[in-house]
Amino acid sequence: MAAVTLTNVVKRFGVFEVVHGANIDIADGEFVVFVGPSGCGKSTLLRMIAGLEDISGGKIAIGGKVMNDVEPADRGIAMVFQSYALYPHMTVEQNLSFGLRMNGNPKADTDRRVKRAAEILRIDELMQRRPKQLSGGQRQRVAIGRAIVREPQVFLFDEPLSNLDAELRVQMRVEISRLHKELGVTMIYVTHDQTEAMTLADRIVVLKAGNVEQIGAPLDLYDDPANRFVAGFIGSPKMNFLSAKVVETSNSAATVELVNHGGARLRKPLCDAFPAIGAEVVLGVRPEHFFEAGEGDCDIPVKADVAEHLGSVSYVYANAGAEELIVEREASRQRASGDHFTVSIKAERALLFDKKGARIR
Amino acid sequence: MRTQNATAYRFLTPYLLIFAIFWIWPIISSFLISFQATRTVPWRFAPAFNWGRLIGDPAFYNALKNTLLILVIQVPVMIALAIVMAVLLNSPLLKARGLYRFAFFAPVVVGEVAYSAVFRLMFSLDFGIVNKLLESVGLEKIDWFSNVTPAMAVIMIAVTWRWAGYNAIIILAGLQSIPEDVYEAATLDRVSKLKQFFYITLPLLKPVIVFCAVLSIIGTMQLFTEPFLITERGGPGGGTETLGLLLYRQGFRSLNFGYASAVAYTMAGLAIAITLVQLWLTREPK
Ligand SMILES: Nc1ncnc2c1ncn2[C@@H]1O[C@H](COP(=O)(O)OP(=O)(O)OP(=O)(O)O)[C@@H](O)[C@H]1O
Ligand SMILES: [Mg+2]
Repeated sequence: MAAVTLTNVVKRFGVFEVVHGANIDIADGEFVVFVGPSGCGKSTLLRMIAGLEDISGGKIAIGGKVMNDVEPADRGIAMVFQSYALYPHMTVEQNLSFGLRMNGNPKADTDRRVKRAAEILRIDELMQRRPKQLSGGQRQRVAIGRAIVREPQVFLFDEPLSNLDAELRVQMRVEISRLHKELGVTMIYVTHDQTEAMTLADRIVVLKAGNVEQIGAPLDLYDDPANRFVAGFIGSPKMNFLSAKVVETSNSAATVELVNHGGARLRKPLCDAFPAIGAEVVLGVRPEHFFEAGEGDCDIPVKADVAEHLGSVSYVYANAGAEELIVEREASRQRASGDHFTVSIKAERALLFDKKGARIR
Repeated sequence: MRTQNATAYRFLTPYLLIFAIFWIWPIISSFLISFQATRTVPWRFAPAFNWGRLIGDPAFYNALKNTLLILVIQVPVMIALAIVMAVLLNSPLLKARGLYRFAFFAPVVVGEVAYSAVFRLMFSLDFGIVNKLLESVGLEKIDWFSNVTPAMAVIMIAVTWRWAGYNAIIILAGLQSIPEDVYEAATLDRVSKLKQFFYITLPLLKPVIVFCAVLSIIGTMQLFTEPFLITERGGPGGGTETLGLLLYRQGFRSLNFGYASAVAYTMAGLAIAITLVQLWLTREPK
């Protein structure tokens, strides 16, 4: 059993620094997802934990032991690659047992482990096939099976589902979740898909350009993002951002005006670093936090552009002032392109960000 | 469709004509010639004349023995060397990769006569650099061209020098098609670099290696230039005469086309047979 601790971890490729001092604490048995846009350093971080990349600065500890100079095979980890990285010339069974056989593991034990992995992943019937003769989902199972056979303390996944079609992705997501419960070991999972992150994680680490933006439970990140980037990245469809300006402050509250919506105003409680009067700010409102006219603290008229009806909910892509808004409507199947309607914002359901994107609270 | 095909064939006609006259016809014709006695005028049909002679001809067995000897020693050594060169070329530690790649490939481009002359010089008894080197480390110099064994060695070294780089480049392409993460997975599986080479690289390179081996076998079966130019027409005393040389001697020096044709067909038949055996031995398991 092993916790994973990253302390001020830095990665440089030549002169380019791509990870700028990451501090991440992962508890034993936790399922942590690294999420962020392409190129933010997720894979690099994971590969440093695996030992496939050198660590340019800081410390990585697994199970309390600093691993910076420990061989990948001795770190107690197993990794599942995006491209599966199966041995193409070996059967499924050989793929699973290869590592153990090469290390002189007793045959009986190897067979037991391979059998167990095959049962867990339900790939018993595929044991004599080669990777070429498997579907994408089956290959992915074999790749996970190869990790299970190692009986690691920490599983590392690098975008394991990104080569699968949407339906299979959902199915494998559930399986990986089940696997985590069954094995009870630490798992670190990299993805750029925030839905995967939300559904799988105990905690999510949001990365951007080599910096950790926020760490927290999925719903905490959703309800209480630390900054505009996290607010925009977590949640689908995206949070709406409306330009605003601070117009008045009193002892306990400030008033902001939505500059593109005919002077609609909203009062937010004052806090320490509240921007001065006249400062530009941004108001963040999730699609589902637009209320019917009159129900909230300020109303804004919008014009429907496109409406997507998904059945249980509808998303209306609307124009308001110069801004695009996405409005979620339950049971409003009649909304069509060109409709004019009014939505309402509640102050407590709107997040405020300063010009640089930091949360004001 | 029909007219389109016809047009295509009309465009192909010049090529097909040339192909038929200079390829197909000689192949058929030499097959027919191999059944004729060609030292009489006019030639006459005598099926057993050339083939019968072939079966009992010590010169043929000598050439066959030499050719096969070169084949079984030179081809495996060269392929092994080519694999090593390809792995080195593929190493991330190597600087100036392009330069090495060019250097390895260059021998193929050098003219045969020039390269043969250089090899004769290098192995010459009194001024050859090879003997100079041998002497400088205290070994006796070798009379490379007066004895059969060293003469055969020179031929094998020369052929290897000329073609190893060529094969290395082909194998390098195969190496580069093996994805990096397969090796990373093996590293995580605690498989050493050496074991990775034998259990992952070699098996995955097998199709490429078989391809190189087949090309080399066909090439060596037809070996001609080196024994003709470097060891001066299969010298000493026919000790390095190959089937290719025997064919040349019979066909173009003795003008015995019938016999030369029989030798040519034997060479082709052997090359096909050896290749088939090899493909069968290295076939993909079911
Ligand atoms: N071997 C390398 N040499 C130089 N730069 C690299 C190397 N590997 C990655 N990088 C750079 O490091 C940064 C992070 O790369 P990384 O692969 O970790 O991104 P990622 O978050 O996994 O992205 P993706 O979602 O596209 O996989 C990128 O800017 C990339 O260009
Ligand atoms: Mg990546």
